[in-house]
Amino acid sequence: MLRCPGCPRAPGLRAMIPFIVRRLVITVFLLLVVSMITFAIFFLVPRLAGQNSYQLAVQYVGRNPTPAAVHAIERKLGFDQPLVVQYGRFVRGIVLGAHYDAGPDKTYCPPPCFGYSFRNQQPVWPMMLSDLPVTASLAFGAAVLWLVFGTAIGVLSALRRGTVFDRAAMGIALAGVSLPIFFTGLVALELFSFKWPIFPNVQYVGLTQNPLLWARNLILPWTTLAFLYAALYARLTRAGMLETMGEDYIRTARAKGLAERKVIVKHGLRAALTPIVTIFGMDLGLLLGGAVLTEFTFSMHGLGLFTVLAIQNNDLPEILGVVMLAAFFVVIANLIVDILYAVVDPRVRY
Amino acid sequence: MKRRRIFPFAAAGVAVALGLAACGGSSNKSAPQQKSSAYNAAINGVVNPSSHKGGTLTFDLSSVPDSTDMGNTYYAFMWNTVRLYSRALVTYKSVPGAAGNTIMPDLATSLGQVSSDGLTWTYHLKPNIKFEDGTTVTSQDVKYAVERTYAKDVLPNGPSYFKLLLKDPSYPGPYKDKTPGKMGLTSITTPDASTIVFHLAKPFSEFDYVAALPQTAPVPPAKDKGANYQLHPVSTGPYMFQSYQPDKQFVLVKNPNWDPATDPNRKQLVNKFVFNLNVNADTIDQNLFHNFAQVDMAGTGVQAAGRARVLSNPALKANADDALSGFLWFTYINTKVKPLDNVHCRRAVEYAADKTAYQTAYGGPVAGGDIASTVMPPTVTGYQKFDLYEATTKPHGDVAKAKQELSACGHASGFSTTMAYRSDRPKEKATATAEQQALSRVGIKLTLQGYPSGKYFTDFAGVPNFVHSHNLGLDIGGWAPDWPTGYGFLYYITAGPAISPAGNTNIEELNDPAVNSMFDKAVKTTDTAARNAIWSQIDRRVMSDAVILPGVYAKSLLYRNPNLTNVSLQQYYAMYDYATLGLK
Amino acid sequence: MARAKRDGAGGAALAGDPSPVVNSAPPDGLLDVRDLRVHFPTDDGLVKAVDGVSFRLDRGRTLGIVGESGSGKSVTSLAILGLHHGTSARITGEIWLDGRELVSADPARVRQLRGNKMAMIFQDPLSSLHPYYSVGNQIIEAYRIHNDVSRQAARAHAVELLDRVGIPQAATRVDDYPHQFSGGMRQRAMIAMALSCDPELLIADEPTTALDVTVQAQILDLISDLQAEFGSAVIIITHDLGVVAELADDVLVMYGGKVVEYGTAEDVFDSPQHPYTWGLLGSMLRLDRERAERLIPIKGTPPSLINVPSGCAFHPRCPYAELNGGRSTDEVPELRAAAPGHLVACHLPLSERRRIWTAEIKPSLDGSGQAREAKEAP
Repeated sequence: MLRCPGCPRAPGLRAMIPFIVRRLVITVFLLLVVSMITFAIFFLVPRLAGQNSYQLAVQYVGRNPTPAAVHAIERKLGFDQPLVVQYGRFVRGIVLGAHYDAGPDKTYCPPPCFGYSFRNQQPVWPMMLSDLPVTASLAFGAAVLWLVFGTAIGVLSALRRGTVFDRAAMGIALAGVSLPIFFTGLVALELFSFKWPIFPNVQYVGLTQNPLLWARNLILPWTTLAFLYAALYARLTRAGMLETMGEDYIRTARAKGLAERKVIVKHGLRAALTPIVTIFGMDLGLLLGGAVLTEFTFSMHGLGLFTVLAIQNNDLPEILGVVMLAAFFVVIANLIVDILYAVVDPRVRY
Repeated sequence: MKRRRIFPFAAAGVAVALGLAACGGSSNKSAPQQKSSAYNAAINGVVNPSSHKGGTLTFDLSSVPDSTDMGNTYYAFMWNTVRLYSRALVTYKSVPGAAGNTIMPDLATSLGQVSSDGLTWTYHLKPNIKFEDGTTVTSQDVKYAVERTYAKDVLPNGPSYFKLLLKDPSYPGPYKDKTPGKMGLTSITTPDASTIVFHLAKPFSEFDYVAALPQTAPVPPAKDKGANYQLHPVSTGPYMFQSYQPDKQFVLVKNPNWDPATDPNRKQLVNKFVFNLNVNADTIDQNLFHNFAQVDMAGTGVQAAGRARVLSNPALKANADDALSGFLWFTYINTKVKPLDNVHCRRAVEYAADKTAYQTAYGGPVAGGDIASTVMPPTVTGYQKFDLYEATTKPHGDVAKAKQELSACGHASGFSTTMAYRSDRPKEKATATAEQQALSRVGIKLTLQGYPSGKYFTDFAGVPNFVHSHNLGLDIGGWAPDWPTGYGFLYYITAGPAISPAGNTNIEELNDPAVNSMFDKAVKTTDTAARNAIWSQIDRRVMSDAVILPGVYAKSLLYRNPNLTNVSLQQYYAMYDYATLGLK
Repeated sequence: MARAKRDGAGGAALAGDPSPVVNSAPPDGLLDVRDLRVHFPTDDGLVKAVDGVSFRLDRGRTLGIVGESGSGKSVTSLAILGLHHGTSARITGEIWLDGRELVSADPARVRQLRGNKMAMIFQDPLSSLHPYYSVGNQIIEAYRIHNDVSRQAARAHAVELLDRVGIPQAATRVDDYPHQFSGGMRQRAMIAMALSCDPELLIADEPTTALDVTVQAQILDLISDLQAEFGSAVIIITHDLGVVAELADDVLVMYGGKVVEYGTAEDVFDSPQHPYTWGLLGSMLRLDRERAERLIPIKGTPPSLINVPSGCAFHPRCPYAELNGGRSTDEVPELRAAAPGHLVACHLPLSERRRIWTAEIKPSLDGSGQAREAKEAP
């Protein structure tokens, strides 16, 4: 029967399958809507300001916008087509893949094809895929750090409420939450990479290439990013713990003669962590779409930096690609968080 | 055409970095004192001459190349870099000083042989020059490369001089070319495998400069991948592509099929070049100081924080060069907006403007540049110094003379007009504010109007109708030449025929018959010295017309990593010559 | 099962003059609380939640502690269990549990007794049981803290307990979560958990307050049955005199942190001596009174435990306070025997109290109109 009789058990995952399927279907719709909105913003807003497709095409012709070049690009990128047609091409690309006239021959990009960058005619999806490990490394590594340290400090603060430790920890947490990443990151770089060469030449190295170097070069970005989130999580955990430790079931646990450590961890922390875990899922989902400031500060080529450049260069396929990928991560994170919530809290029913 | 440099954005934490740099003041561990290393040593000499081989040279760039395809790029630093893996028909000498503006043969045996009517230019290729795969370069490969520049839908970025100057402007480009072998461009003929002949529509005496463009670097038609050729252009230079991750990094390694005997200009010293893209601009400077990278690829100088550090630290300063960048920052004085249609009113502006304030707005003598009194900067062949409006003798302006000129144009108490500038360029904004103040001393009231730089030429200042209707009598701008002669510098900003209804660069709408005829004459003058003299005459005439208010000959403070060997400033590219570098 | 006798045999017998000083006689019975004081220092002042409470309890007997919210009943029971450890509470006095003194004992020793020798069930079983663990898991945990057995054995014990407290299909329901039980079932489960280690003392803090009336009776029956079966001492803490009437052998009435009346249930119900107790009795809902006067509330509000009224804490609300010639405002009344085994803390003379009870209070409680008329007659 049950391996662990009486342990909290998943509320019949089989029962949740219809729920999961429904959510996945909604995900597809959501991504479509996101793409439509992005499309609209990109094209319609300048149109409302009076820009025509010629003027739009000028941006992608480099430094030499002769009318012939501009018209050629206008046709090539399809700006002279109605918006619906352009959007249709985009969707078709995602579902079926697309052909691209690279000059002497046509290249084919398989689905999901987010098109070719306006700027350098390179397919967007492979570029994003190669950026993803960087962001993922950054996000997951920082996530582990902030979860462990943030919740630990939060728990300790809650248990030692009002003491010097608590005040100091919450003071530092306030700093962590208030200081922007491009400040802490630059300070960290200046001190630990240039002034004292503890982490010289911070550049992303692939995990499969050189795991030790991968980790060493990520330590500064990890701590910078984690500092911000750990501060948040410390405060959240502390508040959650304070609330939980005042609950009646804590009193019951003590009344049973349970050792205080077990009361704190098994009864208190377990309950306090539930909202933390769900927030964590959301934060991680958002971060996977790109830790923009951290990547920019440390010159790491992840999805965040990709997004910044895409926007700076007004490059629609890149923008669409990264927006949809980020939206996808957020939606999936939401779904996982909802499932987790049902697993963790047996009162929740779908 | 205007060739652009990159002006990287400073990160938001500049102030912090500055503060930390100030209290750091660290002695740079990687900067041993060299006798030959001194401030500005690379401008007129070669620093650390050496034939030592080996090592990996790292370049950092704060953005990305517009393209690594030689036929599709329009940035000075790229035109410098592509010489590592490509050779054009002719090229610039890799020597420091003014001699760097000289054209010398590269693939060709000599400079172009021009026919007596000036319409035919012939080049002969050196024998047995090979691509990286061992195949021999033929004249058809060069023709094909030029044909590619007509395919603007696939390769839109590069300049369009061939289409402008050659006889067959309607050629659709090789990707739409139905002729066998895709040799459909009739204005280039290849009588044999080592001869290439260009047929011009009109005489153009400076065609050698056009042949020096990277667009004449040969491309084997069978290996052309169009928009994807940038991922691995086939090399004729000392290095070739090993890998390219777009937006991230590309790596060059030695090309075994490069023959140094045919190429006295370049060196093949290091084993590998690594180009890191999209690196934070301030981080690049730090990387240079700490030897995590050796060259800032953009070649436009250190950021504000780095500059403060370099200038205050003698060890670092010894490795710096404050070089002219080839740009002139100036203000157009439009000839169609009243009352500036009267030359005396324009001269009043010339006299009244505060040149020191202009220089300060651009960053002062080191970071901004030298006060300018001519249109052509000293880096251009044909430059001669003259000063009609006391810019160098009375840099704060001459109020008395300005007032005299105002009386002469009938506006003794001054007049009003609008000054346009690019709103996202702080230096231009500072200039506008400073000159507003300076000109108000003589009663010239300026209304300042900012416009986004992306559309400055396409929609605003570059549209004569807009300029007229919005009273934009003064327009701030800048210019650098596609090649270092008077034509390259002056034509598009002062010639009558260059005026166009949109994307106009002759913003002052100067249509002086004297100037126009001097240009006509110059393009027919094949004698270099005679031609160069004409450029200076045009310069004088333009300044006499008072249609341009020169600001500064721009300078950039470059940092020379002390581990580099054979470092010198290439005057045309206005940055370190990348084709000669080695490592200690 | 025979109910615990209510006739006072083996009941709460205190030595003659129970002054608030520590009793030097050896501890008697299972539980002997002597002059327990629990004070909480706060920013607003010192909260004297329990201020000199003494009582005794034997095995097999039930003590009902009655009082309003804030009278100190729960704080007293928490003090017995040692659950104030780690808070800012200052505890003085003595708590003797089966010959062992708890206030001065090492908290680790007290923890070993908690849930083991003495157990507690709480008012709201939904909030008192951990929502994330199954009921069985929580019972197993309670059992395995004090007993080194395998999970299977503990689980079997849990099932047995659930069955004993009357939960149907105990073998399946043992894996259910608290929210899957009805209110009454939850309370039964809590009781099962409390009994898992066979405690000798069971404290039930308002066990039925959160339950429906019909369920209340079942729970009270259950407690009574289990007490008879296991022979444990039970303390029922409640504000509901009806509950006390059902179960208690002895009654302790608390007000303002102090004991105001203490005796057997019969004594306290048949001849209550303290005006507060009269008020409580009057506040009980009764069907047999005239409709208009089913409730006779005590005027005023419970006292602040920081600024306890001087003298007798009840004097602001006592209709008879003026009859004491000012003693009620100046002197704290001491707990004195009104009859053997029946203690009261009131300045009114005994005879006066008896008179008031017989003449005024009792008739109005009985609900006949004549008594009222008699009261109003000159």
